[in-house]
Amino acid sequence: MKSFFRMSYPYILWIAIFIVAPMLMILLYALTRMGNETLTFQFTLDNFARFFREPTFISVLIRSLRIALETTVLCILLGYPAALFIANLSEKKQTLMVLLLTLPMWINMLLKTYAWRGILQNFDLVSEMKVLIGMVYVFLPYMIIQIHTSISKMDRELFTAAYDLGANRWVTFKKVILPLSVPGIISGITLVFLPAVSSFVIPKLLGGGDYVLIGNLIEIYFITTGDWNFGSAISLIMALIIIASMYLTKKIDRNAQEE
Amino acid sequence: MRKLIEFRNIVKSFDGQVVLKGVNLNIYENEFVTLLGPSGCGKTTLLRILGGFLEQDEGTVIFDGQCIDNVPPYKREINTVFQRYALFPHLNVYDNIAFGLRIKKTGEDIIAQKVNRMLSLVNLEGYGKRNVTKLSGGQQQRVAIARALVNEPNVLLLDEPLGALDLKLRKEMQRELKRIQQEVGITFIYVTHDQEEALTMSDKIVVMNAGEIEQIGTPLEIYNEPANAYVARFIGESNIVTGTMVKDYLVRVDDREYECRDFGFKPNESVDVLIRPEDLTVVRPEEGVMRGEVKSVVFKGVHYELMVETKTGTSKTVKMHVVTQHDMDNRETGEKISANDFYVDSEDLESGALTDRDFISIANAQAWDDENRDISLTEVSHNIEPKPGVYNITFSTDKKTEITVKVYVVHPEYVEDARHNIGISALDFFITPDEIMESMAISTDLKTWASAEAWNLQDDSSVEITDVKFDFDPAAITEGSYDITFATRGRVYKVETTAAKAAGDKVGLAFGPDEIHIMHKAVEDA
Amino acid sequence: MKKKKKFLSSGYLILVLLFIYLPIAYVVLFSFNDSKSMTKFTGFSLRWYENMFNDRTMLQSIYYTVLVAVISTVVSTIVGTVTAIGLSKAKKVIRSAVLEVNNLPVMNPDIVTAIGLMLLFVSAKVQLSLVTLILAHISFSIPYVILSIMPKLRQLDDNVAEAALDLGATPVQALTKVIIPQIYPAILSGALIAFSMSFDDFVISFFTAGVGINNISMYVYSMKRFNPSVNALSTLIVVVVTVILVLVNIISSRMSKERKKEENV
Repeated sequence: MKSFFRMSYPYILWIAIFIVAPMLMILLYALTRMGNETLTFQFTLDNFARFFREPTFISVLIRSLRIALETTVLCILLGYPAALFIANLSEKKQTLMVLLLTLPMWINMLLKTYAWRGILQNFDLVSEMKVLIGMVYVFLPYMIIQIHTSISKMDRELFTAAYDLGANRWVTFKKVILPLSVPGIISGITLVFLPAVSSFVIPKLLGGGDYVLIGNLIEIYFITTGDWNFGSAISLIMALIIIASMYLTKKIDRNAQEE
Repeated sequence: MRKLIEFRNIVKSFDGQVVLKGVNLNIYENEFVTLLGPSGCGKTTLLRILGGFLEQDEGTVIFDGQCIDNVPPYKREINTVFQRYALFPHLNVYDNIAFGLRIKKTGEDIIAQKVNRMLSLVNLEGYGKRNVTKLSGGQQQRVAIARALVNEPNVLLLDEPLGALDLKLRKEMQRELKRIQQEVGITFIYVTHDQEEALTMSDKIVVMNAGEIEQIGTPLEIYNEPANAYVARFIGESNIVTGTMVKDYLVRVDDREYECRDFGFKPNESVDVLIRPEDLTVVRPEEGVMRGEVKSVVFKGVHYELMVETKTGTSKTVKMHVVTQHDMDNRETGEKISANDFYVDSEDLESGALTDRDFISIANAQAWDDENRDISLTEVSHNIEPKPGVYNITFSTDKKTEITVKVYVVHPEYVEDARHNIGISALDFFITPDEIMESMAISTDLKTWASAEAWNLQDDSSVEITDVKFDFDPAAITEGSYDITFATRGRVYKVETTAAKAAGDKVGLAFGPDEIHIMHKAVEDA
Repeated sequence: MKKKKKFLSSGYLILVLLFIYLPIAYVVLFSFNDSKSMTKFTGFSLRWYENMFNDRTMLQSIYYTVLVAVISTVVSTIVGTVTAIGLSKAKKVIRSAVLEVNNLPVMNPDIVTAIGLMLLFVSAKVQLSLVTLILAHISFSIPYVILSIMPKLRQLDDNVAEAALDLGATPVQALTKVIIPQIYPAILSGALIAFSMSFDDFVISFFTAGVGINNISMYVYSMKRFNPSVNALSTLIVVVVTVILVLVNIISSRMSKERKKEENV
């Protein structure tokens, strides 16, 4: 049996180079002074200070978090009923619905976003609204599928038992289905909030040039300005915020389950 | 018979926990050997070491004169039938059985011949094309056996192979396995925790406990002459009492001496005395070697199983005062409230162990409105002191509906039984006829009402009160005072008999010198 | 009452589907548009399809997309499968540590993974090129393959591999004859995920590809002016994806039917 374990040695080396090392590189760049393409090893916290001292950056950060949060909430509100309705269909129809939902996920996100650009040209909307529509569009199927999986995994006998114990449909939903589907909602949030915060294609294509989110900021500092140290610091800040919010969500989930 | 396998001082531990403590065991050709013991005794670990799936920390395994410690499983001439069969779900019955032969690059015509022979050996002719995941448990079991046997191993290891089957199928497979073993004539090493399985199939039983071998012997030896109380308890039903060996052929139990057939003990050695339930004969009280009272009767089909108490346990008697209770009405709010007088132990008060909540439950205080809905009691006031005497306690609701009852504080009274090392205590109590009539489990409720408890005098651990004696009909109780006796278990013998007896009958128990078996006390008797 | 509820729920589901398919339908429609407009349908024509097949940069982006996706899928599926099997037999501490690190690219925003890899390549003085692009794709695909195979491996009866050894199979034979045949649906779905991740990727490619190497996403992103041939390309992809998914579903349902038939014989 031990000989099988040896099969994972190469990949352990691989993740050291291609996963751990890049993370360390970002950290290194974020903590050092300007000096492109070569590391300078002059340690500094200026990059972080610069971000927090500039109100423009803070407002970009807040805007990114706000739009990601709005996207997530909208996806839950729109996706939950859909997931529930799908779970109530016959097995054949369920498979078909899931297939229909997954099919567009296979089509290049940029192409779909471009299509929205065409559609939204017909309407007079503010940039933020256009971005929000685009985000909800891209992420909704993920949310529906996560919630649907958690509902369809539930033992139907539970619902029968709830009815047997005197609960009506609404009470059964509130006391049995909803709490049991929380893990599905949580993993849905992970799949929506996380990429929404860091997204930079959707705001760029739908929001026009003046609508900047934190992902665009990173792109600007890496590609346009070429200040990789500052760009690394921004992405580190973003990564930390995301990790913190994921941790918070999980904690809320755990607390809710303990109650 | 030729020695085939030898375990020499096998030691194995997992994460610092020693699972095998130096096991020595010889297994011979063509034997049906059973490793018997409770889960966690190390029997499966020993089997997996033989199969090559685990490595021992110390010791050597000799197979056919060769040390096989460094031989990987696929080179050992041993095959295994796994606990949950471990059939290959992606292969059908035929391909599962043919697996080992194909690995050895046997010709397909020979494979067909051998597989078909195996299918008929395990009574599965015509099942070759079936999907193994769709077979019943018994059929999967047979496929697993065929898959192992087709390789013509010298030894077949079976790890609790019948554990997942229902009782009837298990019996059938036991016979089947024995037949197959006799037909193919190879060594079977069988692991089980089921003593009956071990007794019916084995040539030799190895009883294991906590990583050690307790006894090795034929089923008859193990049953009739268990080496110690552990083996006796594990195999078959047993009554085991502590006695003293007076001299050879004479043992003393509870101040009486009995003849026996055992010898070779030290004078006055403390021993365990085993009497099997089927060896006790029920006779009239005056004819018995021992006398006692039938405590319970369970019909077991062929016979009855009686529990006969020959000596009572430690007991305490209290008074139960049955009084009709006066509900208090609150005209204004329409609320009603009730509570009982009660006794309480001054020591409990001193230790501060009793809260208002406890008083509410001891007094059985409750309040309800005109629609019979429960109302919570929000206030408890009393002048109770931890000194013997009579005090008042008042319970009331939010709307000031209240009731006052008497509290009798008394010194605790224990009965301490130094001989059995048991203390028991209980308090007198007040109760209403209604509460007795509404009780769904009267003995349990009486224990609660009287706060009856028993404990071990040495370590203070709690001892079960097994007996609640009373002399009234709970369904037709009237006011008055009644005696209730709480008792722990006395000396109880399990008896198998065909004589119909009822609980409460006085009986005698008889047995001869052949029917008792004396055992050394185990060194580490828990 | 019940009917009404059903009407409501199917109505809602239809609305959701309409929302999801709206841009796809829009793209398909305008791919046949006569004019360059994205708002007015002026008449039917196939000129954007013709344009697409004459557009060298566009064709090249399709070529790079497919090439990178195929190579990274093959490599990541093999490495991921081998690693997952190895990990399933590893000590729990090691396994969970490796899986934790393995999860990083899945949990991390793409852009963080992307700049990390870019910084790595640049610091190691490796010229960004097709090779770095493929390496980057392999490295973000393997975690998904492992994640898709691990649960299936965990479901496997531990004794099944032991049973194979017991019956004389060497560890390699146990792997190829017993373990892999049982987990191949998971391997397949892992490969499918890896392929679609690579095929759709923009962010990581954008930061790790060499000059002049564009995949479809990068081509669309870098368009100076809107080129309606993109609609034709989208339509083509929609058709291919639909055909593949429908085929996969038909085959898998037919396979399960055949299995049922076999059992009844």
